[in-house]
Amino acid sequence: MKDDELKEMAGLCAKCGTCRAVCTLYPHRRTENSAARGKVVILESALSGEDKDTAAVQEAMADCLLCGRCERECPNLVLYEELVMKARAALADEVGVPAWKSILFGKVMPRDGRMRALRKAGAAAARLLLKKVPSGSGLHYRFPAEFLTGGRTIPQLPAKGFIESLGKGEAASGDVLLFVGCVFDHFYPEVGRAAYETVKASGREVAVFREAACCGLPALVSGDRESALENIGANLRRLREAAPETIVFPCGSCLLMFKRNIPSLFKEGHPLHEDAAFVAERATDYASFILDSGVVDRLPEPPPAERPGEIGYHDSCHLTGTLGKGPEARRVLERAVGDAFAEMKGADLCCGYGGTFNIRDYPTSSKIGENKVKVAASGGTKVIAAGCSGCVLQMRDMAARVEPSMRVVHIAELVRRALARAK
Amino acid sequence: MDKTTLSALGEILGDRLRTDFETRTAYSFDALRKKFLPDAVGFPGDAAEVQRIVQLANRLRFPVVPRGAGTGFSGGSLPVHGGLVLSTERMDRILAIDTENLYAVVEPGVLTGALKEEVRKIGLFYPPDPASLKFSTIGGNIAECAGGMCAVKYGVTRDYVLALEAVLGTGELVRTGVVTMKGVAGYDLTRMLVGSEGTLGIITKATLKLIPLPESVTTLLALFPSNRHSADAVNAIVAARVTPAAMELMDRTAIDTVRETIPVDLPEGTRSALLIEVDGQELAVAREADRIAEACRSRGALEVRRASDAKGRDGLWTLRRSISPALRRVGAVKMNEDIVVPRSRLADMFDFLADLAARKRVTNVNFGHAGDGNVHVNFMVSGTDPDETRRAEEAVEEVFRAAVEMGGTITGEHGVGIIKAPFLEMEVGPMGISVMKRLKNCFDPNGILNPGKIFPEEAATAH
Ligand SMILES: Cc1cc2nc3c(=O)[nH]c(=O)nc-3n(C[C@H](O)[C@H](O)[C@H](O)COP(=O)(O)OP(=O)(O)OC[C@H]3O[C@@H](n4cnc5c(N)ncnc54)[C@H](O)[C@@H]3O)c2cc1C
Ligand code: SF4
Ligand code: SF4
Repeated sequence: MKDDELKEMAGLCAKCGTCRAVCTLYPHRRTENSAARGKVVILESALSGEDKDTAAVQEAMADCLLCGRCERECPNLVLYEELVMKARAALADEVGVPAWKSILFGKVMPRDGRMRALRKAGAAAARLLLKKVPSGSGLHYRFPAEFLTGGRTIPQLPAKGFIESLGKGEAASGDVLLFVGCVFDHFYPEVGRAAYETVKASGREVAVFREAACCGLPALVSGDRESALENIGANLRRLREAAPETIVFPCGSCLLMFKRNIPSLFKEGHPLHEDAAFVAERATDYASFILDSGVVDRLPEPPPAERPGEIGYHDSCHLTGTLGKGPEARRVLERAVGDAFAEMKGADLCCGYGGTFNIRDYPTSSKIGENKVKVAASGGTKVIAAGCSGCVLQMRDMAARVEPSMRVVHIAELVRRALARAK
Repeated sequence: MDKTTLSALGEILGDRLRTDFETRTAYSFDALRKKFLPDAVGFPGDAAEVQRIVQLANRLRFPVVPRGAGTGFSGGSLPVHGGLVLSTERMDRILAIDTENLYAVVEPGVLTGALKEEVRKIGLFYPPDPASLKFSTIGGNIAECAGGMCAVKYGVTRDYVLALEAVLGTGELVRTGVVTMKGVAGYDLTRMLVGSEGTLGIITKATLKLIPLPESVTTLLALFPSNRHSADAVNAIVAARVTPAAMELMDRTAIDTVRETIPVDLPEGTRSALLIEVDGQELAVAREADRIAEACRSRGALEVRRASDAKGRDGLWTLRRSISPALRRVGAVKMNEDIVVPRSRLADMFDFLADLAARKRVTNVNFGHAGDGNVHVNFMVSGTDPDETRRAEEAVEEVFRAAVEMGGTITGEHGVGIIKAPFLEMEVGPMGISVMKRLKNCFDPNGILNPGKIFPEEAATAH
């Protein structure tokens, strides 16, 4: 394996070890291999040709949540997330995408259009893949043990996705564009709906981006550069055509993709560089939009809470950690639910989803996630609000396992409820 | 290592023995950034396992290299002759905190920061504060006798180690020291093990002294036109009979380097800075801070800033904290030395360094713990110009010589490891080395523990 760009990026690492003490995965693995420093060294060994076992190196690179905690603490500004994503891509070019990831792409996170097809085959596919289990809150399904590692609760695919549920001509044009994201379109259409209605409350014309392909993050983190580029290219072209003033993302991970990952893929000189910059400039997180567009001022004064402090906010790694958008969501919540909101215990603990990590190592992903939810509950939180799709998916699953009474919502759902009070 | 050795190790450690290439790679380095592959990595869970491993090593003759968090700057945890890297990562429990007699009992793999945090919750203080405290281990701190900013008032790791349990190179388990403040029964084996860099015994348990947590802290940042001025101020502060909890000096090179990366608002003509902290009872702290500010002004400070609240203090620390990250931008490879000179010779040392850097045409950045005379001397080289690297290496040697001549030492806290081994004799002399070697032979006659460290030898080359 040879790659000068990777070599240079890895070369910034001073092997100081700061990252190990903050690594989300380290407490569960308890070896250097899992933390950023270990990964950098293993990668360097592969790059120098010393470690020739590409499959083993690929496994080593896969064992990471890409939560970015290490990168935020790194005194030497190693761009760890980008490094690992690029390494995964370079490795996949050599030995292909790992088998467990092909499963993921074929069945769970299909590319543009395929999700719709899957849902059409919906109930049938679900019956095949999923085993029904009773649960306190609605219908949940569980993958059988043979399929993946087992024990998981995932939402039933609803009959209709959010975008599909839109009337003809509804939300068709506007200078504000809503990028709903796969999960909030297909798994939790009610979140897509809540985001749409609350963004519309700004009084501006809002269009829902119907032709959206997947943002490409799952493919990118898996090293499937080809699929990622395909989706990204399609999205950038269509977004450029639509030429919105603002693009609102209810999902922090999709936003990270457009704000940071895509621009770093298409540096100056690349044919898509300008399009990427155009979109990055206009992309904003949901909470900031609600604040800046004045929706928040239209919310009625919240009544005193019945149970003060029961609602907490989860700091998503990508949204708060990498993009620094934690304070905005809190300000929205303070206005939407008043003193029902309070700082949550362990707010900045990673939920353990880690994109494809959840599929790769569900038991560890669950341990991290269960701990997250338990810590929150121990501080008195009853409702966790978040702003990222992976986190919502994961924490709902984890709550079902260890804290069945805990509710996990997107902040848009709370804003929508506050708006309803106004009427 | 042959199959028999590995399977015997496997019998002791089970799946806590790793031999895959990736794990060996991940344990082939520390913060010195040199690389030596171990044959295997072991993660024992208790002293008994450590003992069985060292006994086996004596029978089958393979090196055992203790490793904490691998944050050392002198290559202490590098397996230069291969063998087993013995990581203490799984021995990371705080076993007891005695609030009546004020001590803590911990396993070696406990992170120093975790212990500090735990005792802080109950109003107690474990003072040693290496900059790496959040990610280095107590075992590694003891084995290197780590120091930090607060050494000027509170001392270094050595001053807080009351008792130890360790597995010697022979495989025997020894308990040293007492938990009381006083104790003179026999030789001080505890101090013998402190700073021994894993060459005499593997520490499996440590009893550490705690003190009451100071109730308040005030931070001052004094800005000066030259190092001479700040060095003078340091002496004036000491003469005013104030002992700060930290006294950090940053010279022009350090300040300029930071300014290249982040905007810092400093008065015109700032060429040197002192960051000073005082702690203790609130009223006393305020009075001491006054005296320090006065001493700084009387020695020509351009400005003295001061804060007692967390946010303000944090702001004053920005300059000091930003040095290391900023250094990376100056040169790709950092030769980082930690010499010490008597406090009164600090100004001489800074003059010497300025002259040396000019003579050798190398970029040099200095900062350090002025309160105890410990200066971090950094030479920044590109790593791609062999002549520049050679000039820097020569400069390093001159710095060591100057430090020893001024009555100081070649290493204040990072240890000898492999990197300073060639210079040890310069400081301790042939007799010193001879006594040390005899002691080593007594603790570890078969040379099992961490071979290739401290004493100069030819063979060790990085790969
Ligand atoms: C960013 C940064 C800042 C630093 N700042 C400071 C500072 O301010 N002051 C300072 O003094 N140092 C500092 N250091 C150096 C380093 O952190 C210290 O030397 C620390 O004590 C090493 O601890 P460790 O757990 O990483 O040990 P390692 O590096 O793993 O090992 C160090 C030595 O201890 C031995 N050892 C480890 N555990 C044991 C054990 N249980 N029994 C016997 N021997 C053992 C090893 O064999 C080795 O010789 C810094 C390092 C970095 C990267
Ligand atoms: S914190 Fe950064 S520089 Fe330090 S070891 Fe980790 S990745 Fe490398
Ligand atoms: S991204 Fe998260 S899990 Fe991965 S190495 Fe960094 S801190 Fe650990």
